[in-house]
Amino acid sequence: MSLSGRLDLEARPILGASLTTLALVGLVALGSRGGRWLDPALLGYLVAALFACFGVAYRYWAWIERPATRMYFGHTIRTLRSKKVLAALPRMGLLALDQLFLQRFIGKRSLKRWGAHALIAWGCLLAFAVTFPLVFGWVRFTSAGLDASRYQAWFFGFPAGAFPLGSVAAFLTFHMLDWAALMVVAGCALAFVRRRQDEGDSATQRFDLDLAPLLLLIAVSVTGLLLTVSISFMQGRNYGTLAFLHELTVILLLLSLPFGKLFHIVQRPAQLGVSLYKAEGEAEGRVACRSCDEPFIRANQLRDLKALYATLDLGAAIHGHGVHHLDLCPRCKRRLLAKAQWQRMGGAFDPFADLPEWAEPIDDPQSLRS
Amino acid sequence: MAPEAYGLFPESAPSAADPHMPLTNFDEWGFFIDPNRCIGCRSCVAACAECGTHKGRPMIHLDDMDRLYSPQTAPTVCMHCEDPICAQVCPADAIKRSEDGVVHSSQKPRCIGCQNCELSCPFGVPIVFSGLEQMLKCDLCYDRTSEGLKPMCATVCPSQALLYAPKAEISRMRSAQPVREFLVGGLSVKTKNALMVPDPEAPLFLDAALLIEGDF
Repeated sequence: MSLSGRLDLEARPILGASLTTLALVGLVALGSRGGRWLDPALLGYLVAALFACFGVAYRYWAWIERPATRMYFGHTIRTLRSKKVLAALPRMGLLALDQLFLQRFIGKRSLKRWGAHALIAWGCLLAFAVTFPLVFGWVRFTSAGLDASRYQAWFFGFPAGAFPLGSVAAFLTFHMLDWAALMVVAGCALAFVRRRQDEGDSATQRFDLDLAPLLLLIAVSVTGLLLTVSISFMQGRNYGTLAFLHELTVILLLLSLPFGKLFHIVQRPAQLGVSLYKAEGEAEGRVACRSCDEPFIRANQLRDLKALYATLDLGAAIHGHGVHHLDLCPRCKRRLLAKAQWQRMGGAFDPFADLPEWAEPIDDPQSLRS
Repeated sequence: MAPEAYGLFPESAPSAADPHMPLTNFDEWGFFIDPNRCIGCRSCVAACAECGTHKGRPMIHLDDMDRLYSPQTAPTVCMHCEDPICAQVCPADAIKRSEDGVVHSSQKPRCIGCQNCELSCPFGVPIVFSGLEQMLKCDLCYDRTSEGLKPMCATVCPSQALLYAPKAEISRMRSAQPVREFLVGGLSVKTKNALMVPDPEAPLFLDAALLIEGDF
């Protein structure tokens, strides 16, 4: 058996992941000017990042291969390749601001959850925005010419501003990862407190899926902060050990990206495509339930779900009179269950029947009329 | 007090936390639904909203069958399918069934609120809250049942239309017996929760003709 067979890998996701990783390698070569500006101290991170890229891309490609996911992904791609793209892009931009950046929908779930998530998400994104360009050699800092008191920033080999050493800008820039780490630690602490207080989450959470990523993020952040502590307050004591520990935790985090909870970072933008799909369906109109005649399902979704049912071997869900189960609204499906039970009960305790006309009123001796 | 004094389930050991409440477990206890017994008191709806996994939002459905002609109501909770259609049609792979057979609400980080599950469930159970971009559903009060307590709705149902009881006891308790297989058109759906019918050998046939041609 081939290696991919033994590992239960599929061909198309492997191809997609390989191409994505190759593209990243190409960008690293381009941005670091042929590898000249790669930092040797960060090579371990670079290898782990490339592995993570392959893993995340493989899972992403495998995910969009699922029939249900393809239904939406295909629609988004078709929209972006049609004339509708002019209307779709501004809408997607606004949705991205609301759902990906501000994450207001999480605030509606719970304010505490939003606070924890915002700190973790923005902390992580800030850290990624600093770390990856440094690791890939896209960003570097040198002295500005012969002036040792000024720093020159470079991006993709092009000069991107200079600032004096010891300035506020330098302090903020060089401690960017510290700010990110503080945000992540605060967010994770809040998340732990919230999870402990929340009866529902306490019952349904799993260590590997829900708690391990938080612990890993704290480990990465704390070891990173300790590097600053070592330099600033301990004359660099134990810096080598701490740097090794930090690298170890970061590599573990990067390698866990495709498998764990953090994969939702690349999944979540699918929400934008779904919003477009819904808007298009609303414009097309809603189809009425075949039982109660109330409009309930968007026409495009009814069409696509019926096709999806056929793909998933659920095509047999067709009732008499050619009524598909999807043609019934959720309320009628519930009523159908009760109705089927009632029929099976043979009318015993028939709650639906009218009183027969021949039924005599029962005499009540206590009644004033008798 | 002797264990026999605890009523219907003499062999159930009383809980250490509450001596009046017998401990339950997923393997030996089952959820039995009998819409015919429903008296429409809405206790289950109020109790369901207390569940920790969907705080403040009742996930039980209490539907009027046909208000013009009958006061009959029918409660619907998740039947917890063995191969849930809601999970099969989920584009985000967000709906999971735990090893004990409970199908959970969509995972919060993944759910993108597309409503495929809401529209595909054979029993019309999930609810997608568009503002939250999340599907919530009955999860058999996992915060309670996983700790040996009864689900909220079954705890308060006065007519035992919703009953959480030892599976071994149900044949003694009711003349109707549990059925866990349903035919949705020609599609077989097997579930963890049961509906009570007089002849449980045959699956319950859900045919839309019952709704469209029949009247209540």
